[in-house]
Amino acid sequence: MIALVAIVAVLLVIATAVQILKIAELRATESGKEIYEISAKQSKAQAFLLMVFLVAYFGFFAWQVWKWGGLMLPVSASEHGVGIDKLMNITLWFIIPVFIITHIFLFWFSYKYSFSETRKALFFSHSNKLEMFWTIIPSIALTVLILVGLSNWNKIMTPVASEQEHILIEVYGQQFSWTARYAGKDGKLGRASVEYIEGVNALGIDVSDENAKDDKIVKGEFHLPVGVPVQFVFRSQDVLHSAYMPHFRAQMNCVPGLKTQFNFIPTITTEEMKKITNNENFEYILLCNKICGAAHYNMQMDIIVESKEDFEKWLAEQKEFSAE
Amino acid sequence: MSAHQHPHEEQDFLFKYVFSQDHKMISKQFLITGFIMGFIGLSMSTLFRLQLGFPGESFWIIDFLLGSWAENGVMLPDKYLALVTMHGTIMVFFLLTAGLSGTFSNLLIPLQIGARDMASGFLNMLSYWFFFVSSVIMLISLGVEGGAASAGWTIYPPLSALPQSIPGSGLGMTLWLVSMAIFIASSLLGSLNYIVTILNLRTKGMTMTRLPLTIWSFLITAIVGVISFPVLLAAALLLVFDRSFGTSFYLSDIYIGGQVLEHSGGSPILFEHLFWFLGHPEVYIVLLPALGITSEIVSTMSRKPIFGYRAMITSMLAIGFLSAIVWGHHMFVTGMNPFLGAVFTFTTLLIAIPSAVKVFNYITTLWKGNIKFSPAMLFSIGLVSTFISGGLTGLILGDSALDINVHDTYFVVGHFHIVMGLSGIFGMIAGVYHWFPKLFGRMLNNKLGNLHFWITIVSSYGIFFPMHFLGLAGVPRRYYTNSEFPLFDNLLDINTLITWFAILAFAGQLIFFFNFVYSALRGPKAPQNPWKANSLEWTTGVKHIHGNWPGEIPAVYRWPYDYSKVNENGDYVTGEDFIPQIVPLGEGELDGGGH
Amino acid sequence: MTTISLDNTKYKAEIRQKTAKPLLWIGLISIVMFFAGLTSALIVSKSNSIWIKLEVPSMFFVSTLIILFSSLTYQLSLSFTKNNQLKFATITTILTFVLGISFTVTQFYAWQQLYESGIFWAGEQSNPSGSYFYALTALHLLHLFAGLISLLVVVTKSILKKYSPTNVLGIQLSLTYWHFLTALWVYLFFFLKFIA
Ligand code: HEM
Ligand SMILES: [Cu+2]
Ligand SMILES: [Cu+2]
Repeated sequence: MIALVAIVAVLLVIATAVQILKIAELRATESGKEIYEISAKQSKAQAFLLMVFLVAYFGFFAWQVWKWGGLMLPVSASEHGVGIDKLMNITLWFIIPVFIITHIFLFWFSYKYSFSETRKALFFSHSNKLEMFWTIIPSIALTVLILVGLSNWNKIMTPVASEQEHILIEVYGQQFSWTARYAGKDGKLGRASVEYIEGVNALGIDVSDENAKDDKIVKGEFHLPVGVPVQFVFRSQDVLHSAYMPHFRAQMNCVPGLKTQFNFIPTITTEEMKKITNNENFEYILLCNKICGAAHYNMQMDIIVESKEDFEKWLAEQKEFSAE
Repeated sequence: MSAHQHPHEEQDFLFKYVFSQDHKMISKQFLITGFIMGFIGLSMSTLFRLQLGFPGESFWIIDFLLGSWAENGVMLPDKYLALVTMHGTIMVFFLLTAGLSGTFSNLLIPLQIGARDMASGFLNMLSYWFFFVSSVIMLISLGVEGGAASAGWTIYPPLSALPQSIPGSGLGMTLWLVSMAIFIASSLLGSLNYIVTILNLRTKGMTMTRLPLTIWSFLITAIVGVISFPVLLAAALLLVFDRSFGTSFYLSDIYIGGQVLEHSGGSPILFEHLFWFLGHPEVYIVLLPALGITSEIVSTMSRKPIFGYRAMITSMLAIGFLSAIVWGHHMFVTGMNPFLGAVFTFTTLLIAIPSAVKVFNYITTLWKGNIKFSPAMLFSIGLVSTFISGGLTGLILGDSALDINVHDTYFVVGHFHIVMGLSGIFGMIAGVYHWFPKLFGRMLNNKLGNLHFWITIVSSYGIFFPMHFLGLAGVPRRYYTNSEFPLFDNLLDINTLITWFAILAFAGQLIFFFNFVYSALRGPKAPQNPWKANSLEWTTGVKHIHGNWPGEIPAVYRWPYDYSKVNENGDYVTGEDFIPQIVPLGEGELDGGGH
Repeated sequence: MTTISLDNTKYKAEIRQKTAKPLLWIGLISIVMFFAGLTSALIVSKSNSIWIKLEVPSMFFVSTLIILFSSLTYQLSLSFTKNNQLKFATITTILTFVLGISFTVTQFYAWQQLYESGIFWAGEQSNPSGSYFYALTALHLLHLFAGLISLLVVVTKSILKKYSPTNVLGIQLSLTYWHFLTALWVYLFFFLKFIA
């Protein structure tokens, strides 16, 4: 049905084009003018449309913010994410005014100086002062953005210090599912390698490694305690994946042959977030954000953030690793 | 001029139209091949937009066009990826690299610098035919078993290396690599010619600071190409070795399809480094010619010198240089060393400065002008708008801390389509409207041109602006559908809206194609200098001749931007509001706007 | 009104004089970037923990000497042509060609040495460090084949007495390329010896 509408629309457009072309040619031959000459009147008309467009463009922008603003990701559920959001706001407060001001100038000048037979354009080829001015202003603004950005970045990318209380989780990607492995009581993840992959041991854990004995493997969903730093390690079985946890402003690629890391402190439990978003069914989510094959669009795992007690209870219920 | 004066007119068809070594014919060949590829790429995007806007709904057009790639009118998930990959590849390389540079560098370099042809007509012809062959191979790859390459236009291994991981990584990927290798050869041959021609074959008086900005942009583009394309070739070659011979440059510790692969010791990250060493400069290979073209048009149609000629050149040089040291911003979340990430953030945000200078200079050129709105001029204004709108969101993506959460989401898709896709397209289309009289000796219809512009700019922003919101809601790119996640359920409206705009954009381009074909064959005959422009190409005849100028090549006495130049009394120096480059300087008259 | 026909041989020769060398030089820059890409790839790969440091096979030393010597003979050939000693020029060009072939032969011997010492190009027992050895040298050799073809052209033309002291552009182009191959080889040799 929609295809049909689309095709009819396309045909109509072509028909219109042909008509316009014919009329334009007729009118031009009648008035004895060359068809491609652009009169002052035509220029004015286009200039006017440009002004209309400017208003419409800003209007469209505002409409989108109004209409869809509420659909964006809710407040950050991790500690560093608050910093990212703040940085994002600073950047937006810089970008949006620049966007608006430059567009106003661009379209306003186009409108104001549209062609007239009587006016002469100004021969104005350069001005060192002006050019200096608009080299230096952006430089200063950018310096500020870079400094704030990098201080955030360095904080985020520093792994949790090993003596600090934290939870160690390995997130393992494969076509097309996620697995999480908790380090267990010893706080150490057992050795793993592709050679050991067999049957249920999809993660390739070395059974003979002492550290592996108390590791706990979960699928479908994994839990995090609120307020405790979580150190993630990422691995992949086959191709690149990317572990993306948008609510926590967290993302890291999973690279076969390599271990990558990321860490954050969850600050809002799932229950609290349900209230914040006014959505009974809200769940935090881990999704794959690096093209990885046919079912890339459906590679997910739920994340549940809960109090430390609940978390420990849940973890205790999980089975320890065994290769059988 | 009678026929016997140019012996080439009697040349047989094959050498005039097919194996031509004349830069103007080669330019047309590039343009038409590029447009055909572009049309295919555009159609692909419209098809996969149907899937995104109406997920799972059945369309007979999809069944009809995609055949075995669809089932019951719904495209298959892995074939969705094949379409996206081919769309990206075609748009970036075939339309906006070869199509754009190939057309305008070939057409304008000899004409604007005053040369009879390119340094080597033979290499130039080879360049086109390599491009043609690579286009054909790329299209053939659509029909092979397993389907076309499906690993995204960035073809990251291991996905692109292992047919077990996605069917498109079989023969389809092989053909993709072959096609791109030939494409790179074509691009290098072209660039060699452009650089040498500009540096060695300028006419008398055509100093480097009298070159139109178009030529400067083509020169810098060609240099960037010569430096970065060979690295992509190296990357692709190592990938070929891994795929076909079992080496392990990019592969290690992989278990797939029930078995452990023999590869060990390689790293996919290495490929990303090599790829983006080309990949980012590629963005500027697309952008710079578009910016050069619009500089020329904005100045001509405003009847004013381009503001800050030297600053424009310096900015382009700075952009060209910086573009080679920012590639890491595509890799912030690959686990790269955080310090390196910081360095790349710094260099990336630096690029904003020359870009801002260019924008301000465009705007100042309009100020107190006397602007005629031809379709070319409208598209040029559109380009400035898209360059601003898309460039600003680059500040978010280039900031490593912010990139963590928007990397690989639809925010990126929105950003690069606006800043690279739209700017590139707008620049290219503006160029076609402006130089159509030079290309085909006829004029395009302005009314249809205006209509084309308005449909295009409205629909393009309608498509790509909302994508930023999808990205900020966390929607990843390269997703066949968003319907698997309850989180994204209420975003379907946005996707549907985008798809409607995509259909409109598609229809809008049909107007252009119609205008193009009709005017090339039947349009009104062009006068010699329809836009009253200064540069040298308008001193040649409307009819193409071999060697461009029938007699001596004219000498040049001034820069190309003497528009509305007045004397002390406020009268135009020559009585007209433009002074072609071939007019000698008057007594006491300063060149280059008095630099 | 005079018409310039591009088929005018004089005009064509003039353009060739002006642009052939710059075309070649910029072509060389792109080849430099190609190998720069490959060698920096090796440096990146080297940071991998299982990188194995390899010894350069002894045959590569012989290759190096041969190619250096061939550059010398080819340079001589140009001087001979310029001094109108065309017979000597032909002899030295042929000598260069023979040296080029010998270089190729030593490369194959070197690969055999590598293979016998258990370093494989590809497959289960291969390691990227070994693969780089083969890939870099083979890609250099591929470029050398282009040089050999150009040498063959120069040899033929010089036997047919097509060159004269004022007409040496063809030799110069081929010579520049040949020197470039030598320099590239020396770079690769030291790179493989000390970095890889
Ligand atoms: C009306 C025109 C166009 C529409 C509707 C469109 C639509 C899209 C969409 C929706 C995607 C993302 C698909 C996904 O991630 O699942 C995409 C990807 C892409 N598009 Fe376009 N596009 C258009 C024109 C262009 C142009 C002019 C360019 C030139 C630069 C371009 C270059 C790309 C590239 C490079 C990708 C990425 C492909 C990949 O992820 O591998 N597109 N396009
Ligand atoms: Cu995945
Ligand atoms: Cu980039």
